[in-house]
Amino acid sequence: MELQPKNPLRDFAPQLERTSFQGYAWIVFLLAVIGLGVYAFLQQVIKGHEVTGMRDNVVWGVYIVNFIFFMGVSYAGALISGTLHLFKTAWRKPIIRMAEFITIIALLIGPCFILLCIGRLDQLHYLVLFGRIQSPITWDVIAISTDIFGCFIFLYLSLLRDLATLRDDELLRLPNWRKKLYKTLALGYTGTPEQQQRLNRATDIMAAMVISIAIIVYSVLAWIFSVTLQPGWHSTIFGPYFVIAAVYSGSAVLIICMWVFRKVYHLEDYITKKHFVAVGVIMLVLAAAFFGYFTFSDYLTKWYGSEKNDELLIQLLFKEFYWPFIISNYIGVLLPLLVVGIAKFRTITNITLTSVVVVIALWLNRYIIVVPTLESPYLPIQDSRPEWLNYSATWVEWSLTAAGVAIFCLLFTLASKFITIVPVTGLQKEEKKEDILV
Amino acid sequence: MKRVFAFVLFFGTLISAAFQPMNLFAEEKADSANIPVESRLALNYLCANDSIILTATLSIKRGEATLALENALVELTASDGTNSTLLGKVKTDQEGIAVLKIAAAGLPANMDGTVAYSATFTGNSKYPGADASFSAKLAKIRLFFSIEDSLRILKVTATQKNAKNEEVAIPKETVLIYVPRLFSFLKIGEITLDENGTGTMEFPKEIVGDTLGNLVVVANIEENDQFGFVQGRNTINWGVHKQYYKAEVPSRELWTPIAPMWMIITLLVMLAGVWAHYMYAVYELVMIKKLSKKDKPLF
Repeated sequence: MELQPKNPLRDFAPQLERTSFQGYAWIVFLLAVIGLGVYAFLQQVIKGHEVTGMRDNVVWGVYIVNFIFFMGVSYAGALISGTLHLFKTAWRKPIIRMAEFITIIALLIGPCFILLCIGRLDQLHYLVLFGRIQSPITWDVIAISTDIFGCFIFLYLSLLRDLATLRDDELLRLPNWRKKLYKTLALGYTGTPEQQQRLNRATDIMAAMVISIAIIVYSVLAWIFSVTLQPGWHSTIFGPYFVIAAVYSGSAVLIICMWVFRKVYHLEDYITKKHFVAVGVIMLVLAAAFFGYFTFSDYLTKWYGSEKNDELLIQLLFKEFYWPFIISNYIGVLLPLLVVGIAKFRTITNITLTSVVVVIALWLNRYIIVVPTLESPYLPIQDSRPEWLNYSATWVEWSLTAAGVAIFCLLFTLASKFITIVPVTGLQKEEKKEDILV
Repeated sequence: MKRVFAFVLFFGTLISAAFQPMNLFAEEKADSANIPVESRLALNYLCANDSIILTATLSIKRGEATLALENALVELTASDGTNSTLLGKVKTDQEGIAVLKIAAAGLPANMDGTVAYSATFTGNSKYPGADASFSAKLAKIRLFFSIEDSLRILKVTATQKNAKNEEVAIPKETVLIYVPRLFSFLKIGEITLDENGTGTMEFPKEIVGDTLGNLVVVANIEENDQFGFVQGRNTINWGVHKQYYKAEVPSRELWTPIAPMWMIITLLVMLAGVWAHYMYAVYELVMIKKLSKKDKPLF
């Protein structure tokens, strides 16, 4: 194996010190998409929710799908980074920070989509003032806010060593304000044995915490659906089903991020095929679990139960939602099994493209959880109209969806400009170990 | 080769998805336009207090969905078998319901006093027409209250109009007695009329009325082949006086303002556990900062 350079920070310095023309063009493009989203949001605020496809029958649409999707990606980031840290996985270092960034950034964007569903944003504080503890919505508000704090603390703890490294590196050509910021954020960490001991202890505890919180919080999100009696939602396995689906989609997003940063920042020496295969295997295992156990089990019991509304829902899924159903539950699940499972197909490009399909499939999975159920309610809706029976997202919803993805990409880009996308301190240690072995 | 395989698989999936009917895309609407539409009209009849209330409910069936048709004009007529009289034209409301209330007097009736009612929706370019009809004799129910030997007695009489427009008794029919409650009618008894069209029952003592004890009592002849739906009403203060009171300690349930204790304790324990760990992590950060000050060189 090829040796790593003596100080990996030198490899990452260009990404921190300057931004290329393509980099600025990318940021301008993202800002333009976000601008379109802001315009769409203003249309929604001025004209009300009639500019969306949501009506009395189908009261939730793409926004809630995006909310579930981003929250899932976030929890996956937390679960993967927490688990890799806790088990001290040897290959974790080049990818763990990406997982941590995914956690925080997706966690900041996800709840914004739930706000877009709210008709009276001016009465949002009522949720806190008059919230009932019995309501799963209240649990979700408490859980997400708790999770945000926890993930920030975990991210900060894992950044501390690198912040100190960036503070102490005199070759870095950075503006003074950034150096001062690194100095302040590094908390005077110098890596003394006692400081290391305290940092390791705190990071270990927080790693365990983010894993457990991620499981609880995403289960709470699932319970918002499953505690209702709606066909397709009222399921006892919805909590674990959501958690598994979250990690599945999150591992795919992580692979895509790995591929992008590997290409853009030329990290071929750090992020290798080994990492893609390792995360691909996580995806593969979850795909098998997701498909073989939860999805099949859920639909099989509903199908055999032959309850009228469950049957109607399954008919709807195989008729009007045929392709979303097939993509999410067949293609999106079988593809990782084939590509990652068969050694011949196991290349970086194949795994990445499979991850893109998985991301699309899992987004569609959330779509067919939300929309078909609302299109087949138990009780007739009062004053319903033919055009309200089926949901179709409008340009406003698609624009805000695109804006959400753009914010995700922008924050990721800015974060990678602020601190190295790969923990350099961790790499130094790995490099020494390899030197000894050599 | 591997890359080619991957790209073919990936783009093949996306393209095939994009060209198929799928709820996310607008093509779906074009399909729904081809589903056959059927109009359905139902006519309900109620004879109460010398009035006839005709209720026509218009709906359309498209595929598996049944929807109310709003703002549709429904024509209501009455007939004695030979001559037809237009009673009125009524537009349906948001629930597809058109209601017409008319006086029972003067309606065209045949020799045995039967009036044939019909409702017609002529249809338009979008929805086909539909009609419904119903025949019934005019009838009337009266309720009388009395106390006999300290017992509360409800007496019901039912009459019908004959060909000479005279009131004659309705014998041997069953009259159902109700008291309206918040959501539906509470059935309190059943009376079978005698030859004179009269029947009695002892009125129960435990029915809750309003704060003054007032009760509305309803007597119905329901789904009768000759008379259709006939209703009579009267009010009496024989109810138990309703008293509102507040529970001293509201119960802790899923649906009450205060949550069950186990739920509060579970939530608090979990939050306390999580935040305690957060605090510990922050404490460690503070200690790292303090250690840096301690380790600072003096010169």
